Amino acid sequence: MPGSLLAPFSAIGRGGIKVAAGFGSWGRFMGSAGRSLRHVDVWARLLLGQMARIGVDSVPIALFIATFTGIVLALQASYTFTGAVPLYFVGVLVGKTMMLELGPVLTGLALSGRVGANISAELGTMRVTEQIDALETMAYPPMAYLVVPRVLAGTIMFPAVTLLAIAVGIVAGWITSLQLLDMTTPQFMMGLTLFFLPFDVTFAVIKATSFGFMVTSIGCLYGFQTMGGAEGVGKSTTRAVVVSSMVILVLDAFWAVLLL
Amino acid sequence: MSIQIQELHKAFGANEVLRGFSAEAAEGETLCILGGSGSGKSVTIKHVVGLLRPDRGDVVVDGESVVGMSQEGLYELRRKVGYVFQFAALFDSMTVTENVGLGLRRIRGTTEDEIRQRVEECLAMVELEGLGDRLPSELSGGQRKRAGIARAIATQPSYILYDEPTTGLDPITRAVIDRLINRLKKELGVTGLVITHDMESAFRVADRMAMLYEGTARFFGTPDEARSTDDPVVRAFIDGRPELLEGVT
Repeated sequence: MPGSLLAPFSAIGRGGIKVAAGFGSWGRFMGSAGRSLRHVDVWARLLLGQMARIGVDSVPIALFIATFTGIVLALQASYTFTGAVPLYFVGVLVGKTMMLELGPVLTGLALSGRVGANISAELGTMRVTEQIDALETMAYPPMAYLVVPRVLAGTIMFPAVTLLAIAVGIVAGWITSLQLLDMTTPQFMMGLTLFFLPFDVTFAVIKATSFGFMVTSIGCLYGFQTMGGAEGVGKSTTRAVVVSSMVILVLDAFWAVLLL
Repeated sequence: MSIQIQELHKAFGANEVLRGFSAEAAEGETLCILGGSGSGKSVTIKHVVGLLRPDRGDVVVDGESVVGMSQEGLYELRRKVGYVFQFAALFDSMTVTENVGLGLRRIRGTTEDEIRQRVEECLAMVELEGLGDRLPSELSGGQRKRAGIARAIATQPSYILYDEPTTGLDPITRAVIDRLINRLKKELGVTGLVITHDMESAFRVADRMAMLYEGTARFFGTPDEARSTDDPVVRAFIDGRPELLEGVT
């Protein structure tokens, strides 16, 4: 068979090997981070600071996105349903979509850009300027000092920020319904509660927790693997954002298949 | 309290950096490892504290093999070693005081008062009093190096490793750093390992010198022996005369 015909298969094979190798190095990295959990004296005092940096500082961008998503959802629902479905279904669509899909996914993607890039750039810079080696020479386990607090903070704070974003998105949809769609609050609330299940919130929390864990751990992995100077830091940062965004979308589908 | 580097071999892919390098720093002595850029000096020093593992060979510190140490053993060793990095490797987000005190926080039972007092002592020793509240980005190159030295001596180590301590500094700051290295040896009695390609500095601080060339020790002896050697490779390096290397194998 001519080489040109085999080229796509070779490319797919190489891609598969790369993905498998990536999984392998992430697994080893997280195994090492897991073993560092025993150094509680090192990571515990850094956890609150990281929770503030990763969670609290991300609230404005998450709420900004949630507000406009809520507005657009309400308007699109009204546009789609007009004349066919009672208008209170706007509340159904805004609530369900914010909780099950757009709240966790859009917040996750926004935070993968903000948090994942930040972690990767910071740790990458520390790697190339020997700050991580310096930590080692001062008998600080770098995994416990740098990775554990970030991953734990992301895993705890992503769901918190996501729940806040969902609430704000729904409120934005409600205000839009009142102001632009001539709906009443009871109408909107009727739709919002019609098909509501407590599991919807659990589902959002499960997704956001997994996104937080993956975004922060991928950011840390690429930061630690950085080589070279500024160019290396740039490459790691880009890779961290691209890979964590892809992982969010894959996990989104995974949880839907598994739990819905 | 000696450091023995024994037949160290290390390759990165096809690049064989160390090919059986050996040298020794006796107790209370300063050993200078000389060599051109990319000759493997930094790679060698990283083996001393287990930041790199050799392909073959060993480093023996205070009679203990570094290669055979567990992770906990390495942390124990590192508590006895101060490491001054080439570009200081200060933590950007911390003030000078926080940088210098960081190692002390790893020592159980150390109070905040003790940390503050020790940090002040160390900053005074490197003549950086009053600059403790500054961030590393607000310091000059020489001040950063001195802050790196203050951080390395804060835990009162038995050994100090200096990675190119005078590179990129003006002649006066170089002399100040060299004086500081000698003072630390005299006052703290530490065993020192200095890697450099700055010959002037090497002759000021070294008790013994080892020249790393093509992965092995081309020369090992006292500064006086280095001055009088007729090995063209060593002479070319000491005198800065590359023409002496022509035809050398």
